[in-house]
Amino acid sequence: MRCDHCSNDVPDGVFCTRCGAHQGTTNEIGNAKTREHHYAAHPGEHVAQPSVFTTLFPHLGHHKIHEFRWAFIAGLAGILVLYLAGLISAAILVSAFLVPVLYLIYLYEAQVYRDEPAIVLGFTLGGGIIVGIVATVFERIVYNPFQYSGNPFGNAGVSLGGLLIVGLLLPVVQEALKPLPALFLPNRADFPETVDGLVFGVAAGLGFSLAQALIGFSSVLTSLPAHVAPGNWIYTLTTLAVFLPLLQGSATGMIAATIWRYRRGRLGGREIGGVAMAVLAHIAFSAGTELMKETAVNALFVLIWQAAIVGALLIYIRYLLHHALLEEAAHMGYAETVCPSCHMHIVASGFCPNCGMALTAAPSSIKRGRRPRVESHASPSEKR
Amino acid sequence: MLPRRRSGRLALTCARCGAQNPDGNQFCQACGTPLTAAAPQPAAPAWTAAPPQGPPSPPASTAPPLAYASPPPAPVAYASPYYSPTGAFPQAPVHRTPWVLILAAIFGLIVVMAGCGTAIALFNSGKASVTGTITSDVPSPTPAGSPSPVASPITPTGPTASDAGMTVPVPAGWVVDSNDNEEITLADPSGAGVITVASAASNPASTAEQQKNSVDQDFTSRYPDTKTCPNTKTTTGSLNGPQGIFWTLCFTLTSGSQSFPAAASMFVGVNADGSVFYGVILLTRQDNLQSFLTEAAPILKGIQWKLK
Repeated sequence: MRCDHCSNDVPDGVFCTRCGAHQGTTNEIGNAKTREHHYAAHPGEHVAQPSVFTTLFPHLGHHKIHEFRWAFIAGLAGILVLYLAGLISAAILVSAFLVPVLYLIYLYEAQVYRDEPAIVLGFTLGGGIIVGIVATVFERIVYNPFQYSGNPFGNAGVSLGGLLIVGLLLPVVQEALKPLPALFLPNRADFPETVDGLVFGVAAGLGFSLAQALIGFSSVLTSLPAHVAPGNWIYTLTTLAVFLPLLQGSATGMIAATIWRYRRGRLGGREIGGVAMAVLAHIAFSAGTELMKETAVNALFVLIWQAAIVGALLIYIRYLLHHALLEEAAHMGYAETVCPSCHMHIVASGFCPNCGMALTAAPSSIKRGRRPRVESHASPSEKR
Repeated sequence: MLPRRRSGRLALTCARCGAQNPDGNQFCQACGTPLTAAAPQPAAPAWTAAPPQGPPSPPASTAPPLAYASPPPAPVAYASPYYSPTGAFPQAPVHRTPWVLILAAIFGLIVVMAGCGTAIALFNSGKASVTGTITSDVPSPTPAGSPSPVASPITPTGPTASDAGMTVPVPAGWVVDSNDNEEITLADPSGAGVITVASAASNPASTAEQQKNSVDQDFTSRYPDTKTCPNTKTTTGSLNGPQGIFWTLCFTLTSGSQSFPAAASMFVGVNADGSVFYGVILLTRQDNLQSFLTEAAPILKGIQWKLK
């Protein structure tokens, strides 16, 4: 058939295997070419759906996504049990490690690092941990929470100096430092696609989040007794287990993805907007949280605020990644393969003709299973 | 449909779109049409049918919506309407890690971290204690419920900070963090704690107990795990004149990415008709409270209340 949008002769299918456009959908609402109702990494979802796993774990097929979701829920249930049992120190530790450990399993599952796990994991997750240690120590030097904590006698209740440090200075410094490990990855030329940059950035951000949580709560961990009344620790644990790692991972992933786009010569308004969005989201998250805590707003509203910020960040990442995948997968050559999303055996270029998944977001094991091509005519992405 | 091999150049011309392909390719680089029709394996579909109207389901019973030029045999559970694998190029498995292992890793994390957390907490349990409360005879604590002796304020001789409601001595090294009409905040030289002294008219008139409840409520809203520190007592007495209540709260102070076990040793009092409020808060780490009380003793003794 001839694609309605790129005019190439392509195998019959619901989606053009070269440009990913949704075929025969001229009467549908929305642009069939950009097909934002079919997110390129997981076509069963809309781009504007704030799903954590299909955004930050883009290489997983839909079966694996469910398994990771259940594993995450199991981890949260474990934290809840520890909280109810009054084992707060244990709950803090599990909260700090949960998302980074899940991501480590994901990196192994999708083999994103291909044949160089030590270098990639060392420079992303490990580098993120080192940067996290440095940044948290820097924070302790410049910010004394006792000095800026509001007191119940005060009229204003909020320290402007403290708010500027916690809500503006520290987020900007952190966002400048966190992508550095992924940026200096020595074999980055082997991972030229934006989805690789996103995953490496998320890994660095999660390493940062782990170090930040452990150092930040070290005083509490070394002073809490074995059993304490659970009280309202659940709010702190929720931030620590869910929103803080998702914020740090998403923001760094977005910035790293933008750097990867720049290296491909594709820096546009969408990408620059992504960096601005990451920094602004971090500022809004930190400043809003601090402001609400200092003005004694109900802790539930703090969590709702954090969830809203993380949700908005996830949607922008999907928007950025979706368009990057549509553009980059179009350069793949034909091969026989299995779609990791719908599991159809297909002969495809960059997109599954059945479900429209961008095949650059396939796990490494499936990419390796593509038929070898003649080197002299293969596209750069296929030579890897 | 058979591809034409051009003599001398080892190239294949696609029978469908006419594109030149390198020798060895089994699919056209331009349109994906199979170039290996002569192979003995089951043929791949010829791209001649209309596209299916939606994602087909994988079971074998599902009839492929496409018309195949050469329908493949069905040795496997289901046949893709898009392509029948030849078997010559085995596909890597889609799933690498069994779901049981993923869940086991998470349960292992919970068990290991629960063990580590409990071990750390047990190790800490012997040394975790908070002692000390502001009293009128600073810093030694007074028995619960017994009025403290009234101490006479000491007239400060060195530098002071002053506002409409009070004068507070500022010992060497201490820094005035803030000073407005109602409160003065001093930070100690090491940054380990702050002391806030406040005094203002109270409208409507209130009791010391009401002031204490208000302060407790504020702390509880701000620091969710706020509670009265173990090993401390709530007492009544006076601080340099005004009668009031002394007590100490423990909580976790989380700000930015830092989190500390903090303690606030406090005094709130009112004048005889409840129209003037007096308050003092010493805020520091729990393990530093006793030494901070000692360090702040000259300030507490030197506070001079102006509003009577």
